[in-house]
Amino acid sequence: MVAGIAAIVVILGIAAVLLFINLPDANAFNIRVERLFVENDTLTGNAEIKLLEILAQSGTAFSDTLASYRFVIFVLLIFATALLIAAVAFLVMLIALNRRMGRIERQGIEVNSLLISRDQKSVYLNDFEFKLTDAALETLSVLAEARMDDEVLSGAEIEGVISGRDASDCDEAAGATRIKRLRDTLGNQLVSELLIKNIARKGYMLAIDKSVIRMV
Amino acid sequence: MKNISFSLLIFCLSATFAQAACYADYKAKQDNPLRLHYGVTEVRGDCTVSAAEAQLRDGLARDGWQLLNVLGVFDDSGLEERRDSAGEFYLRY
Repeated sequence: MVAGIAAIVVILGIAAVLLFINLPDANAFNIRVERLFVENDTLTGNAEIKLLEILAQSGTAFSDTLASYRFVIFVLLIFATALLIAAVAFLVMLIALNRRMGRIERQGIEVNSLLISRDQKSVYLNDFEFKLTDAALETLSVLAEARMDDEVLSGAEIEGVISGRDASDCDEAAGATRIKRLRDTLGNQLVSELLIKNIARKGYMLAIDKSVIRMV
Repeated sequence: MKNISFSLLIFCLSATFAQAACYADYKAKQDNPLRLHYGVTEVRGDCTVSAAEAQLRDGLARDGWQLLNVLGVFDDSGLEERRDSAGEFYLRY
């Protein structure tokens, strides 16, 4: 990607240099007029010479216009560079996004947001709402806070935080039970939301595309 | 004797005349802004284009002019027809 952008910048840089080299300057007119004067032996009259001088001067005046053209073209070149860089960047971003989308599709679920609502006793995973018991909500909150601090909690520590006692006084199994309950309630709802749908008064159905099912 | 001295005088006069009556017309320029002029000059020494060039170049350079080319050399007979064209540069350098 960097190489591509560098290549674009280099190409447009070369174009800019060529532009500045190849555009004629004011002297081009003077040189033409001078050659005209030298090559034609009959161009010796006062009036004719004055005319040639005026011709050269008008060319010189036009060179100011040329300079402004040059500037405009240069600005356009810069715009073109910016646009091309943006295009390449977007292309690369698009490819990366596509790959990520593919990975997410294969992965099943990727949690982009987790919102714990204590009032409604529920947790929002992405856009799915799951109802939790008070105890499970407490466990999840403790885990979420620990995650924000990049901490790993043992079962005893979880139990200690929730019950308000010191971790050394707590049983490892008590924390493990809390985790099991959280997994059960959340896992149940997750599977029912993502995989096994319950259609009211009708029954149950796999919530997946039938083309992805294969049996061996 | 008188006749001989007269013919000698004529000869000498014509010789000096031939020496003096050599002119060249040339073109010169100035840069920034471009100015051009056509002029006529009297050539001292050899009556050749190269002699005229050598002689003109320095004289013109003193006034900031640059010699472009010398068109040719001619004698008195060609002088008058070029007077108008040369204008202020008629026999100036």
